[in-house]
Amino acid sequence: MTRRIEQVVVVGADAPAWMAAAALQHSVGAAGIRVRVIELPTQLHPADAYSALPELARFHHRIGLGEHLLFSRCKAVPVAGRRFSNWSGAAPPFIHGYDRSPPPAAGLGFTQLWIKGRQKGLRTDFENFSLASVAAKAGHVPVTAGGAELHAAFGYNLDAGAYSTLLRHFTMSGGVESKAATIADVEIEGDRIIAVILNDGERVEADLFVDASGPHASLIGRMPGADVESRREWLPCDRMLVASAARLKPLPAFSQISAFRHGWVGLFPLQDRTAVVAAYDSRETSDQALLEDLPALANMPIGGDAIVSDLSQGIRRRAWVGNCVAIGESAFSLEPLDGAQLHIVHYCISQLMTLFPAEAGAFPEAQLYDRIIHRLAINLHDFQLAHYKLNRRFDMPFWDGCRNAPVPETLQRKLDVFTARGRVPLYDDEVFQEQDWETLFIGHGLMPQSYDPRVDAIPEQEHIAQVQARMNDIAGLVEAMPSVDDFIAGVDQRQKEGTTVG
Amino acid sequence: MQQVKDIVVVGGGTAGWMAAAAFAKVLGTQAHSITLVESEEIGTVGVGEATIPPIMQYNKLLGIDEDEFVRETNATFKLGIEFIDWRKRGSTYFHPFGVFGANIKGGVGFMNYWLRWVQSGGDPDYTHFIAEGEAAREGRFARVPASPDGQSPRLNYAYQFDAATYAAYLRRYAELRGAVRREGKVVEVEQNPETGYIEAVKLADGTRVAGDFFIDCSGFRALLIEGVFKSGFDDWSHWLPNNRAAAVPCERVEDPTPFTRSTARESGWQWRIPLQHRTGNGYVFCDSYISEDEASQRLLERLDGKPLADPKILRFTAGKRRRGWIKNCLAVGLSSGFLEPLESTSIHLIQIAIMKLFEFFPQREVNPVLIDTYNREMDVLYDHVRDFIIAHYKVTDRDDTPYWRYCQSMTVPDSLAAKLELFSERGETRVMPSDLFGETSWFAVLYGQGLIPRSYHPIANVLSEDELQLAVAGIRTAIRRRVDSLPSHADFIERCCAAKPAATAA
Repeated sequence: MTRRIEQVVVVGADAPAWMAAAALQHSVGAAGIRVRVIELPTQLHPADAYSALPELARFHHRIGLGEHLLFSRCKAVPVAGRRFSNWSGAAPPFIHGYDRSPPPAAGLGFTQLWIKGRQKGLRTDFENFSLASVAAKAGHVPVTAGGAELHAAFGYNLDAGAYSTLLRHFTMSGGVESKAATIADVEIEGDRIIAVILNDGERVEADLFVDASGPHASLIGRMPGADVESRREWLPCDRMLVASAARLKPLPAFSQISAFRHGWVGLFPLQDRTAVVAAYDSRETSDQALLEDLPALANMPIGGDAIVSDLSQGIRRRAWVGNCVAIGESAFSLEPLDGAQLHIVHYCISQLMTLFPAEAGAFPEAQLYDRIIHRLAINLHDFQLAHYKLNRRFDMPFWDGCRNAPVPETLQRKLDVFTARGRVPLYDDEVFQEQDWETLFIGHGLMPQSYDPRVDAIPEQEHIAQVQARMNDIAGLVEAMPSVDDFIAGVDQRQKEGTTVG
Repeated sequence: MQQVKDIVVVGGGTAGWMAAAAFAKVLGTQAHSITLVESEEIGTVGVGEATIPPIMQYNKLLGIDEDEFVRETNATFKLGIEFIDWRKRGSTYFHPFGVFGANIKGGVGFMNYWLRWVQSGGDPDYTHFIAEGEAAREGRFARVPASPDGQSPRLNYAYQFDAATYAAYLRRYAELRGAVRREGKVVEVEQNPETGYIEAVKLADGTRVAGDFFIDCSGFRALLIEGVFKSGFDDWSHWLPNNRAAAVPCERVEDPTPFTRSTARESGWQWRIPLQHRTGNGYVFCDSYISEDEASQRLLERLDGKPLADPKILRFTAGKRRRGWIKNCLAVGLSSGFLEPLESTSIHLIQIAIMKLFEFFPQREVNPVLIDTYNREMDVLYDHVRDFIIAHYKVTDRDDTPYWRYCQSMTVPDSLAAKLELFSERGETRVMPSDLFGETSWFAVLYGQGLIPRSYHPIANVLSEDELQLAVAGIRTAIRRRVDSLPSHADFIERCCAAKPAATAA
């Protein structure tokens, strides 16, 4: 017995739930499918912030959400990348900038030219050939005029509560029904959810349930075969602290991620405050000790709104079981080290849209979705793990442990190939592209032993000219970019003029 | 060989009585005789006097009870010197006693880490990292010994006292132990015709005071070392042009600060030394730039309390006696040289001369090698203190008066020039372990005077930023805790060592 899907229920809270509902309403809602949200209590605290990759703009564009609202309502700050400091002892920090695949130089990947240049004594660091990194260092927002060969984009730091509220209003005004409730019980038959029983006794039935409840995994957590593989073995941080500090002046064009003895501390500039996040290993330091050290580590006084929570890092073996699809952190969790939290929601929703089941029957799409999301999780965890693996903080048990522990074969292959010849083999379902991996590896001090042999065919003069030209191009583009404060001040004006940003 | 038995101190005052008291204690008067000759006709220079921490060693040598000593000399405690208007008008810095920060693993001095920390946005007020500086700023004081685990150092301090009562205190001490005071003015000196050794001094009343060894504490007159032995004088006034001081005590108007204040003026500087019962003040100046009358007038205008006397003028020349020890005569105090009291070194120089004499204590025939060694070691000390004082004048942005323009443009001794050069490069002065003023002092003064090092020791860069921040914050917190535990300076004095009312009336 099969029939077309008539009703989808999203169960969850905060931005992930509303992102899912908005996207569903925008696409399948138009096809007559009813989208309903069971809104669970928020999991956010006042200090929480979302730090998002530039791809979030695409999501907004797709559902029709005006970018200017992020700046006027969500205290958004545009960031060109993340600066990683203290991961390698006293080595200078590096910026992972949000570049969009840089154009080739002399027909080859620019990185190959840089590696050879480096071997021949070039002193300029790799990040200085990234448009976004240079913009970030200059405090500029990477908006590039059409026609330029080099492109960079900016991500957003958002007040989590305000952003969730914005999405909620936006989604509700798009005709999505919602009900605030908690779950009393879930009726499951085999691998199917028959109904979700709410605390007021209502039975909610649907053809498809989307679990957007984050790490709580309110639905998927009850499904057979959807248990979690722990990744603690590789990713040792198990506690997280979130707090607020004063606004940075002027606003930097990057978020800051600094390693310390027992983990890392992130500073995420917002328009009215700075969100401070610390991820650490509870076997190494206590919440109280961390809170005492935090002002020194963040180099600023910390507000009284600090909240600590457990940080579990695992991957669900199956993200789609029967008629229950997990998105975002209900499918797999990761620490907010690389700003992919909202992106994985987006990615899961995109996959769900692509694979949206034609009929409410056997759901053959589930297996494919599982594989995709699992690969996505592995790739993201590998990216995150590379930070730890490549650390050069010697003589500290936590960091020595991270450096010495074997890594999954998927990451080891990337490290080996990069070391051998400066290329990073990408797998399916990568969020981060080759440029990102290269920046990460080189930034953390991994230097390739060799490079693409074709670089040797480039005459030396031409090689130098190419390197010089790339620097000049970047300098010219960055100079024309606005500062963060000017950019934010100009958002309303651009909105009125109808020009787009980013 | 016969021993030196009879010691004659010529001149009272701080130097004379410090010497007599130390001899009375160390040599005793059983096998030795200690005679001090002084005349009430001749005034002593002693004014409100500030000291530096090594004075503890002298007091300890004498076995002085500190509370009693503080009570009897109307003393207050001193954690350092505040310098106002020295770098430029409106600027203030503090030269604290004590250590700068604490050791950070890695092996280079804290100042290197601190400079790096400041370059990355830290607060450039170094006193936050010196407990004595923080305590002084807040007017707190207590005697804090080092913690048994060695984690927390002692609180370093010295005293500010009334020099006249200090001399009187030491006189009582010396006389109690059998030192003999002879009233009278020296009118003649008898030398052995063969050896040239002094054999006796004759007083105005005809008394002959014979001795084996003579301590010249006759002040600027240098009765023996110059009058008899023609030691010669190295004039340093081209580096230290100040040659006058107008001194006046004034009423106490507030709780005494646990520090001395030095304020740069148009043609010199003004001291402010708070005692328990009054405040000592003085204007040290050069009479080529400002007259005695004008300087006295300026001083009176700039007192914070009612003057208790008319300003007294002291005249001097900066410099050093070429040889402080000749044959059986040792010059102690002003007879051996004069350096202005900018860094409160006068009593220290007295004390070192006395200590060294004990170290080199001679047989009757003094071995010339001993004398040479003593003179060389004292030269090193004098040169070191001299350079340190000159640095205050040379390193400044002040060029608002002819006096300061002179100081700014003068050529300094090569030994100082080398230190300044190294410091401006990376904040070190490479002092010797035996030097009186250590790296912390040089750092405080040179940095405070406006010489900001371009860089620091590269090893300070090895620490990662977070470890640096944590280490710096940890040190800051530890210092804060120490300082928070201290009572106010006034309360401390009140509880343990307030002067008796009788002394207050003095």
